[in-house]
Amino acid sequence: MSSSVLTEEAIPASTVQHGAPGTRGSAGTRAVRYALLVAFVLLVLLPLYVLLVTSFKPSADISADTAWSLPHRLSVEGWGHAWQTLSPPLLRSLILAVSVAVISSVLGAMNGFVFARWTFPGAQVVFTLFLFGMFIPYQAVMIPLQAMFLQMQDTAPFVDGIVKLIIAHCIYGIPICSLIFRNYYATAVPREILEAAKVDGAGMLRVLRSVVLPISAPAFVVAMIWQFTSAWNDFLFALFLTTRNNGPVTYALNELAGGQNPDYSSIMAGVLIASLPTLLVYILLGRYFIGGLMSGSVK
Amino acid sequence: MRKAKTWLPGFLLVLPSMILVGLFVYWLIAKNVFTSLQRSTNFVTDKVVNPGGYHNYTQLLGSGDYQHALMNLLVLTVVFMVGTMVMGLLWAVLLEKGVGAEGVFRSVYLFPMAVSFIAAGVVWRWLLSPAQGDGAIGLNQLFIKLHLDGLQSSWWSSPSRFSMAAMAIPAIWQLSGYVMALFLAGFRGISEDQREAARIDGASEWKIYRHVLFPQLSPIALSALIILGHMSMKMFDLIYVIAGPNSYKAAVPTTMMWTQLFAQSNPQAAAVNATILLIIVAVVVVPYLVTTSRSERSR
Amino acid sequence: MATVKFDEASRIYPGNDKPSVDRLNIDIADGEFLVLVGPSGCGKSTSLRMLAGLEEVNDGKIWIGDRDVTNLSPKDRDVAMVFQNYALYPHMTVADNMGFALKIAGVEKSEIRKRVEEAAKILDLEPYLERKPKALSGGQRQRVAMGRAIVRSPQVFLMDEPLSNLDAKLRVQTRTQIASLQRRLGVTTVYVTHDQIEAMTMGDRVAVLKDGILQQCDTPRHMYDRPNNVFVAGFIGSPAMNLLEVKVVDGGVRLGNGTYPVGRDHLKEASGDSVTMGVRPEDLTLTSAGQGIPVVVDVVEELGADAYIYGTASDAKQHQDVDESGADLPERPFIARVDGRRPPQKGETVYLAPKEGHVHMFDSESGKRLGD
Repeated sequence: MSSSVLTEEAIPASTVQHGAPGTRGSAGTRAVRYALLVAFVLLVLLPLYVLLVTSFKPSADISADTAWSLPHRLSVEGWGHAWQTLSPPLLRSLILAVSVAVISSVLGAMNGFVFARWTFPGAQVVFTLFLFGMFIPYQAVMIPLQAMFLQMQDTAPFVDGIVKLIIAHCIYGIPICSLIFRNYYATAVPREILEAAKVDGAGMLRVLRSVVLPISAPAFVVAMIWQFTSAWNDFLFALFLTTRNNGPVTYALNELAGGQNPDYSSIMAGVLIASLPTLLVYILLGRYFIGGLMSGSVK
Repeated sequence: MRKAKTWLPGFLLVLPSMILVGLFVYWLIAKNVFTSLQRSTNFVTDKVVNPGGYHNYTQLLGSGDYQHALMNLLVLTVVFMVGTMVMGLLWAVLLEKGVGAEGVFRSVYLFPMAVSFIAAGVVWRWLLSPAQGDGAIGLNQLFIKLHLDGLQSSWWSSPSRFSMAAMAIPAIWQLSGYVMALFLAGFRGISEDQREAARIDGASEWKIYRHVLFPQLSPIALSALIILGHMSMKMFDLIYVIAGPNSYKAAVPTTMMWTQLFAQSNPQAAAVNATILLIIVAVVVVPYLVTTSRSERSR
Repeated sequence: MATVKFDEASRIYPGNDKPSVDRLNIDIADGEFLVLVGPSGCGKSTSLRMLAGLEEVNDGKIWIGDRDVTNLSPKDRDVAMVFQNYALYPHMTVADNMGFALKIAGVEKSEIRKRVEEAAKILDLEPYLERKPKALSGGQRQRVAMGRAIVRSPQVFLMDEPLSNLDAKLRVQTRTQIASLQRRLGVTTVYVTHDQIEAMTMGDRVAVLKDGILQQCDTPRHMYDRPNNVFVAGFIGSPAMNLLEVKVVDGGVRLGNGTYPVGRDHLKEASGDSVTMGVRPEDLTLTSAGQGIPVVVDVVEELGADAYIYGTASDAKQHQDVDESGADLPERPFIARVDGRRPPQKGETVYLAPKEGHVHMFDSESGKRLGD
């Protein structure tokens, strides 16, 4: 995918000339198209309906027969319970996701700049090796990673819980962040500007600081959103590296949902609470979110 | 070879990341492989659990449980990839010429991407509850309400060998929007002139798709397939939440690895499993990365 | 201010066998305006970038003044460069763009401000100092790029096709401004262009490159009057010089039905029994029938005072263009400048003879100039 998606609107508007005859199809095909689109919207939103409806039902009212109906009485009892259970891990997740977003994008900016505009012999090979790190199943490093963190804890006991996750996400996020920034710099920062800066007497760090970073905001937004979302949504690392007492919200949500006598209203409220931050990011900064998705496809 | 003075700063800037990726990706992979080759015995009965060396691999590959997990993975992957590609392409085609409220449709189709697999899994566990008839909840209950009782299913826990297909439904729900976004950006990247030229050449709208537009989307389709394929092989969270960590019925290599490591306290077998998974992913991803990197260099 | 010297400087891109710049030797005097010109891919931009330090020098040396800068990075060379697309920093104001180099050099803020304002005055940029490049017209951006170079008072100005993004009218205007500005500031300048008119009008001297090899480095006048080889002869001048393959005969060369007298010493170095003769369109005169070269007029281009006729020499063999390797080029029409008030008619056959002393003889094989 070309990385112009990072600089412009992620998905550009259609350029089809609607004035031309026959381009948009007859009224009939248009109606069919809308009907299909709306039907798919309903399908996609089905789980959201379930979440909202169930979360506002009092636990007592929940029965199989009325599972799909709107609540008779509105209750926030489920929300209250979910919030109580999830608020400490929510805070931990927030710390995790914000630190990961900041640290990884800084690393990504440094690497991406070098890979795009200040290469060294063998940089292409290193970059490809980085990219492979993006695709590996983390199961293949998980067992020694656990052991490594245990070892670290001997000398540095603060490396626990969220700190472990911050380290893991920052490091395993290096590839995607380097890719996002490399693609951005390769298209959005013309070579001549860097050459002009060199002729103006700037060394590499100066070029990076005074010329490149000030025009990197779009890539930072994309990389930070990407890393925020993946750290927030991660479960695998959380499951292997943390416990119920120091884990992120995904861990806690799984615990909340995993009981023997499921309290569906608080479970569904919990799902909504745990998803709210990423959904907010998506709603507010949707086009950058898409930009991140696109750059995941390497080209 | 260029002079070191010009490239050394760039190299130094990337060096920290190279060390971290080298350590946390490649060194840990090596350690994992090392673990996978260890001999081990049951410390109570002294019986050999893992004979050591490559026998560990033949032992796992030969086991019925593992073959069952691989079969599940195959079913899951095929259904997931086909379903997601078809759905994503369909949405993209419906939207690509630009319809009113396109942004709304796009956002709705994409929103599941912003939700964690865990959160989605909790809802889908409820939606895909196997209970039928009186106590049915989830989709089965919805079918009853819609008088479509015949559509009820035990989903992923049905006795069929292909029951894992049901597990692909939530995954398709989550990722179709991503494929749509990729294709939509692809469609919009094709100059409108080409459609107009084809129209002048007498092509019908369908022929334009078939002969002009789709062929140009094939690189995007390949990227999408690679990404979906490797996601499918790494899929863990959804299955963990929907079917539970130790389900045999819905076991895939990733969940089986969890079982081996924690329920069976057999890190060697878990390491073997993880290594094989890595190899499977590498077989798909490495050729793609290498060709991408080559084509970029020749550009 | 300083002299510049390319000393056998070569650039070979990795993976290429042929050098992009092949053992370039040019001495540029202090304060001189030197123009590098040639067709695209000739190595002119690469040469400039080697001088800037943006391109590695694989062999040979480059000197600025008495400093060997071959291995220095751009920031240590004290050169300023104007890029084709200006390469302005998009996030900085005009003033910050112009002052950036000084800021890096650690010059005091007030001093930077002073020098930027001085340069802005020269370039009529004063009202725009606080604007971002985005808010400027093409011509203004070009001037900011110039200003960025001037502010530094560097040893050497480097300009890489700085006018090619301007429209035709502005280009002519700016051409004169740059040339006069350079003369006023007296800073040694190396200027790259593909436009030979730009080269001829601006340069103290012009260096013509082709395939990475310097063809000739001379004053515009001398280059025009005495091109070193067939390539320079055809490249410099517009419309281009007519080049014909002519047989060597006793006392001169065969031209049409007659013989055009050429001194013996001109032809004795020729490697074959034919030579390439070059005549500029303005050095041809109409003669009476039977003499000179018979040409059928295809097009008459009337420019008012003058007219150019484009025609086909009726002896087809005689008007093949030949490049310096002797290979045939696609046919080019025969061009002559005639009196604009009484031009010949289309379809007419005219007879053209070169003015005495205004022909150029080149070896058919090597393309080199023969004799004086």
